[in-house]
Amino acid sequence: MRKHNQYSEYSNWQVSALVILRVLIGWHFLYEGVVKVLNPHWSAAGFLNASQGPFANLFKGMASNSGVLEVINFCNQWGLVLIGLSLIVGLLSRWASIGGMVLLFLYYVSNPPFIGIEASAVAEGSYLIVNKNLIELFSLLVLYLFPTGSIIGLNRLFASRK
Amino acid sequence: MEEKKSNGMSRRDTIKALATLPVLGYFGYAYNANLLKIEEAKAQNYLERLKIDKIEVSEEKLSPPTGNSGNRIRFGVVGNGWRGEQLLKSLGYVHPDYVEDSSENGIPDKGMQKFLDQEDLNVEFAAVCDTFEVHTRRGVEISANDLRPFGKKRDPKPAKVFSSYKEMIASDDIDAIIIATADHTHAQIAIEAAKAGKHIYLEKPMTHSIEEAVELRKVIKDTGVVFQLGHQNRQQMSFKIANELYEKGVFGDVSMVQVYTNRNTVFGAWIRDDAFDHKLGNKDNINWEEFLGNVPLCEFDRKKYFSWQRYSEFGTSITGNDLSHQFECMNQVLKLGIPETVVALGGQYYYKHHGDMPDVFNAVFNYPERGLTMTYDGNLKNDAYRPSRILGSAGTVDVDRAILMYKDNHTDRYKDIILDPSDPFYYYAPDDDVDAISSATSQVYMKGGYGPTTIDGKTVEATLLHLKEWVDAIRGQGKPSCDVDAGFEEAVTFNLANLAYEHKKVVTWDKVNEKAIIG
Repeated sequence: MRKHNQYSEYSNWQVSALVILRVLIGWHFLYEGVVKVLNPHWSAAGFLNASQGPFANLFKGMASNSGVLEVINFCNQWGLVLIGLSLIVGLLSRWASIGGMVLLFLYYVSNPPFIGIEASAVAEGSYLIVNKNLIELFSLLVLYLFPTGSIIGLNRLFASRK
Repeated sequence: MEEKKSNGMSRRDTIKALATLPVLGYFGYAYNANLLKIEEAKAQNYLERLKIDKIEVSEEKLSPPTGNSGNRIRFGVVGNGWRGEQLLKSLGYVHPDYVEDSSENGIPDKGMQKFLDQEDLNVEFAAVCDTFEVHTRRGVEISANDLRPFGKKRDPKPAKVFSSYKEMIASDDIDAIIIATADHTHAQIAIEAAKAGKHIYLEKPMTHSIEEAVELRKVIKDTGVVFQLGHQNRQQMSFKIANELYEKGVFGDVSMVQVYTNRNTVFGAWIRDDAFDHKLGNKDNINWEEFLGNVPLCEFDRKKYFSWQRYSEFGTSITGNDLSHQFECMNQVLKLGIPETVVALGGQYYYKHHGDMPDVFNAVFNYPERGLTMTYDGNLKNDAYRPSRILGSAGTVDVDRAILMYKDNHTDRYKDIILDPSDPFYYYAPDDDVDAISSATSQVYMKGGYGPTTIDGKTVEATLLHLKEWVDAIRGQGKPSCDVDAGFEEAVTFNLANLAYEHKKVVTWDKVNEKAIIG
């Protein structure tokens, strides 16, 4: 971990922008997670079955095994909720950034907007290589490299105790 | 200066640490105030939403194989063209060329693997008859190829060649017949086969005229042979589900049915003088007289022989080729039956030197007793794809291999369901991986629901299931789903449209006397 005194190198505007980005991405994750947790019929099966591209068979395979699917459903929905909460309140948000990147990477490769792959039913629109998942993934990388939890966020409570 | 508390935290620290927590409060408020309602509606079980208990057909199982060592069915093929070979593949027979093209270093490709894994219907390709020598020979080669599903190698006895379908029907070498000839010969071959007690799988469309349809239906009923018309959409899960949803009132009152077919290639327009292996055809290797059947004798014409669909003495126009499919699917879903009146307009505006087939065609079919009309738009100069659309009082439903329903904004049935009107209300799509399809015609074929279907969690060719149903019925298990009554409705409906087009008049169906009244 970086020393927190380095954080002071951020200007107030930089801190504000980073915290707002963190909260927005957190909101997005939290909402996606809560919606799934509260929907008794939600399952990742539809998304996995719609998988295309080089790893399609792997993702479809996951959907076809009910045990694996149950684990995926659980990890995905609660992962989304915890990552969302963590980013919003600024607690362990670097770990949350990593977790978020892993999930987004999986979403990305299961339906990659590559040349020659038809826009799938689960995609929001059509993209060329870069889609919103990829942008959110790299936004989380920025948040990981420029953490703000100890400036504005619950991490500050622990950081200050030193 | 900030005053530090005993734990080392200033007030400013605390405020900064907790600064984003109110966001969570707002999230909770927003979620409860607005989103919860919408998400509740989304989360609602789709059956509750459709207000039905269950969809029974989606629980259907594949019926077990009926074949055993004592009940092998010997069949003959009349008309071993491209469709004939497709049917043979479903029956477990492929040409050695196909085996070679579909495997590399002895490893079968995906299509070949599917063939090897498909159900063995326990049938024997015993006889072949084609008016084109090249196709007869291919038939024999196919029958002699010993590679069968599951690698079974039965004694590869070559199919017996008959130069006339009449001899094949009269022989004791076959129990059943597969007819995949030009449309004008469907009825005559099927009628004679039924009279000889042979079970019949007849390619669509059923007959070239209404009179033939009346006669064929009578003969099939009198003889009691097992008859299946080759509309394999009957096996397609999407149409089965759509039918159940309709009967359970999910669509409400249906006031309009819209069907379309569009093509924009020379091949798609059935100009096939040089398609496939047709370049090999000439006066010496084509039995022209046998091909003509009941058509008055005329001089050999290669174009007419290979592009017969475009000539009304042989083919049944864009309606017999394309509308017959679309109508059959809608007849399966809605049990439409035969329309009371039909009007049709259009013309042969583009492919003027190829027979007399219209390339722009519109028809309206009126069903007063049902309170609905069906429209058909057919076109050979544009290839826009449109699924069939059912306009119901409770929703608008697009049906092909998939189902996509939007609820009607003004229906009482679903007024309690809060849903963005632009969101699909119900969606069904088969759960499979269809191979990448290249040509426009075959893409439409797949999307239209004539390719594979999903049943019992498995992906199976609809044609295979349709043949299986026929073979099982011959063995006394179940009934064909596209029987002669369904075929009768298909044949009469599209022939009424052809008469309306030909005479440029309203055509009325006299259901008592089973005749078309023109004007």
